[in-house]
Amino acid sequence: MQKNKFTGKRANQAIFFSLFRLMSYLVVGILFCIIGFIVIRGIGVINWEFLTSAPKDGMTKGGIFPAIIGTFYLVIGSMLVAFPIGVMSGIYMNEYATNKYVVRVIRVMTNNLGGIPSIVFGLFGMSLFVNKLHFGDSLLAGSFTLGLLALPLIIRVTEEALKAIPDTYRQGSLALGATKLTTIRRVILPAAFPNVMTGLILSIGRVSGETAPILFTAAAYFLPHLPTSVFDQVMALPYHLYVIATSGTDLEATRPMAYGTAIVLIAIVLIMNLLANIVRRRFSK
Amino acid sequence: MKLEAKNVNFFYGDFHALKDINMQIDSNSVTAFIGPSGCGKSTFLRLFNRMNDLIDDTHLEGECLVGDQNIYDKSVSVDELRTTVGMVFQKPNPFPKSIFENVAYGLRVNGVKDKKIITETVEKSLKQAALWEEVKDKLKKSAFELSGGQQQRLCIARALAISPSVLLMDEPASALDPISTSKIEELIFELKHNYTVVIVTHNMQQAARVSDKTGFFMLGELIEFNDTKKIFLNPDKEQTQNYITGRFG
Repeated sequence: MQKNKFTGKRANQAIFFSLFRLMSYLVVGILFCIIGFIVIRGIGVINWEFLTSAPKDGMTKGGIFPAIIGTFYLVIGSMLVAFPIGVMSGIYMNEYATNKYVVRVIRVMTNNLGGIPSIVFGLFGMSLFVNKLHFGDSLLAGSFTLGLLALPLIIRVTEEALKAIPDTYRQGSLALGATKLTTIRRVILPAAFPNVMTGLILSIGRVSGETAPILFTAAAYFLPHLPTSVFDQVMALPYHLYVIATSGTDLEATRPMAYGTAIVLIAIVLIMNLLANIVRRRFSK
Repeated sequence: MKLEAKNVNFFYGDFHALKDINMQIDSNSVTAFIGPSGCGKSTFLRLFNRMNDLIDDTHLEGECLVGDQNIYDKSVSVDELRTTVGMVFQKPNPFPKSIFENVAYGLRVNGVKDKKIITETVEKSLKQAALWEEVKDKLKKSAFELSGGQQQRLCIARALAISPSVLLMDEPASALDPISTSKIEELIFELKHNYTVVIVTHNMQQAARVSDKTGFFMLGELIEFNDTKKIFLNPDKEQTQNYITGRFG
């Protein structure tokens, strides 16, 4: 009787452990399936020309160069918008705000902002930046819209990065007659830098894959040339993928190109995530 | 520079942490504060460079004087006060910077730009803190590569670099091994020629070894304050006697 009870327990444990392990392997498996599926179908079109030339013949031939560059511009633009705002509010929340209630309200609001569906950002961006502020369908409007989307992530990461800095650094600096601002600039921010950069890189990964926010604000169906000013429309990888997958002149023929575009997009996101990991490891001991 | 507390009462929220304390600390002397944990000795120490300002929901009654200036007067700049009253913390807290930059930090943030002055002051401060010989060949290395005892001497050098008149030390050797501790103690002994040193310690032998005067705190009250010899050999109060002989605390 006694013995049965013990073995029964152990068997129970084993079953659950196996289940948990299986589930975590499953996640890895799914990732490899997706990547494998796309790579097998799209790797054939990836060559130098595909990466460096514009689409041709009603987008059935040619490459995705304008879309790569467009995504690149949108990423830079959105980070120029989101990074300063995000880092500054993160600093305010962790270093300056003395009213805990205010901080909590800001944090809840920030999280809510992060929970808004990206298509809603697109709609908002269209009505505010494109129409009200007369940016038009443009790189500028798209950058602001994507910037808003990235803001919650950057604020949260900055706040966490600052929270991880031991108070003894702050005390040590203040005790030497440094002001609070000097302390933040010369001790706190340099120490928090790797983690803040990690946040920046992760949000670049996030922003470069978003379609909905640029749908009504920046993305062009087809542009033979690169944008020359911030008021120009741009092509972008995720939107280009959508276009050639759904509305080309010869969908079957362009399918491999869609997968090729997907490879490039995934590669950018994965490289960004990898970079974030390297930065984090390099600088944090 | 002499220090003085006049009728000091200090509160953390509703908690009455320091009760009606009066004390005069002579310049160029070493004063030790001893007492059981939570007796208020560290809180009292931190009043003199206003580090308690960083804690929410605290307030002070009475006056704290550095020299003849009440440092809680509205006209006093806290940043300037802290260049006059330096502090060394319980745990070594070097910045994640090079050894050189740690010592130079106080100069830089207080507006010193002249490279020659900075280099000279860093060397002088490291020598004063008896660390120069050990680090002179690796000033560019991270401060984190030093041992705990070296880090603490680095923090002392860092505090000395801005030439304060007063040095507050909050259990500066409690996280260190015996050899490092004795180095720090020798250092404190040297420092009193130029500085007014106040040290909080849990280690009564340490207080007896390094200090000229000792204050015994208990439950937020200053029970006895006198020459160190008198406190340890023939205290006036029974509570002091009990604590010194290890009957409680």
